[in-house]
Amino acid sequence: MAERPEDLNLPNAVITRIIKEALPDGVNISKEARSAISRAASVFVLYATSCANNFAMKGKRKTLNASDVLSAMEEMEFQRFVAPLKESLEAYRREQKGKKEARKDKDKKADSEEQDKSREEENDDDDERMEEEEQNDEEEVDN
Amino acid sequence: MAAAVAGAVPVPVPVPVSVPGAEAAGPGEEAAGAGPPGPARLARLPLARVKALVKADPDVSLASQEAVFVLARATELFVETIAKDAYVYAQQGKRKTLQRKDLDNAIEAIDEFAFLEGTLD
Repeated sequence: MAERPEDLNLPNAVITRIIKEALPDGVNISKEARSAISRAASVFVLYATSCANNFAMKGKRKTLNASDVLSAMEEMEFQRFVAPLKESLEAYRREQKGKKEARKDKDKKADSEEQDKSREEENDDDDERMEEEEQNDEEEVDN
Repeated sequence: MAAAVAGAVPVPVPVPVSVPGAEAAGPGEEAAGAGPPGPARLARLPLARVKALVKADPDVSLASQEAVFVLARATELFVETIAKDAYVYAQQGKRKTLQRKDLDNAIEAIDEFAFLEGTLD
């Protein structure tokens, strides 16, 4: 799946929603402006990734981590993002931890109460499990 | 007290398909849904799409899940910021519709957006 960076964009619906919520009620956005913001967002990710990667390399690490991204924000003169990002990261870590513990419990129970539980929560479980297996703490970004 | 803007052109938005727990990197709009407001919200942008952008960098070998998440959130903050900054120019032009030129003005005027120059065309 060789995609050029310019071809990768973020979902219009989500971008539009974020824009609308940032602006006062009654304000609209032209299609061209929305499309340009969407492209800007992709460029932002690419630039931030590159910046973050420099920090990872400085630390002699091959894996980009959250603090590299935070350092990149400061480097890019978006210091005001750092505090809210840290809060989000905390919430994310709590949620991930909750998921893991919930799964541990489910696994224990599944052993003793196989049929009922697993059928009921089949969807959630399977999807979550797929997600967990796909994304562990260190994710392989193949290049 | 929602102001009805006469003649407003609604932006056509495809119906988002919400698939619980799906991390499919396929095409289509993945709506992460409206979560709790405020900085501690989880990401709205689908992490898979952000991850695809990260992978596009040939110098990057591995990225942690947390890194992708923080990037997604940072991008959301960026979108909010640039929309608000561009809107200032629309207000100056006494318009209630944000236009491409407002964005261009913001990019030219604001140092933090210098990295965008020449990339949006």
